[in-house]
Amino acid sequence: MPDENWRSQLRKGWLELAILATLWDGRRYGLDIIRRLADGSDLVLTEGTIYPVLNRLKEDGVVRAEWEESDSGHPRKYYSLTAAGRRRAVAMARESAQFIQQMNSLLEPLLDEEE
Amino acid sequence: MIAHDMQTRIDSYLMNLRRCIGELPPEEVNDILREIRGHILERAEAGGELTNEKLVAILKALGKPEDIGPLYQAEAMVARARSSFSPTLILRTVVRWAMVSVVGFIAFIVGITGYSAGLAFLGCAILKPIFPDRMGAWTDAGGFSIGFRDAPSTDVLGWWLIPVCLLASAIFLVVTTRFLRWMLKFAVRRRTTSIPAVA
Repeated sequence: MPDENWRSQLRKGWLELAILATLWDGRRYGLDIIRRLADGSDLVLTEGTIYPVLNRLKEDGVVRAEWEESDSGHPRKYYSLTAAGRRRAVAMARESAQFIQQMNSLLEPLLDEEE
Repeated sequence: MIAHDMQTRIDSYLMNLRRCIGELPPEEVNDILREIRGHILERAEAGGELTNEKLVAILKALGKPEDIGPLYQAEAMVARARSSFSPTLILRTVVRWAMVSVVGFIAFIVGITGYSAGLAFLGCAILKPIFPDRMGAWTDAGGFSIGFRDAPSTDVLGWWLIPVCLLASAIFLVVTTRFLRWMLKFAVRRRTTSIPAVA
């Protein structure tokens, strides 16, 4: 079995793009992003780790953030992609898709072996 | 309504987080704590009554403050330094980077050398009007040098030393700053793959 550190690094490598992808269709707040990421994936094992990444993406001008009161009684910080963020997300998605394709062709024989 | 002891537990978690975040502007720290408090409360309110066990599980899923706090500083500091022209902020960030990476250490050495040269040229430009006869650009048997001389030598630049040194100083300071900002891109890339596992 692969070691836990490798798994953890693999998740972290994908986290930024995964966060940008959750914002593609519109704005979301932190917990909403976590829920979206948790839906069908185990990308976020420690929920608190996405907030520093969001903070850095904001500083980088990739996302913008705005506070808004919610029905639940406490304000939520909503994140949305900026124009630069959308360009970055598309570039990262294209590069990742190409990378996945290359990896898939490399891994095919290994996966056949598993079956 | 959250019971008093659980409220205390949440406050204690947030106080710990504040301590672990370290040196960020106070308004940014407040913003972070407000967001994390919102996360905890929203999780707490979902799915019925909040019990002690449920709160412990929420905080555990969120991560230990000592694991999460430093990530803010690492991520935010690099991002701020990359968009800043403040040599102090850039150098402080590079010093932290130098402590964990060979590339960071090289960036630090280049940075220190570049800024020192920039400041030395600035110093020469400032000292020329104060010591017009002793500060200059000299040529003699020993070759060419800029600085203080007691023995008579030929000052090749005269008062031109001031604009030349100011220009050289500006070039060193700007080029070093731009170089370090460019290098910090690699700090971000490294950091996203070298954050210690907190799972």
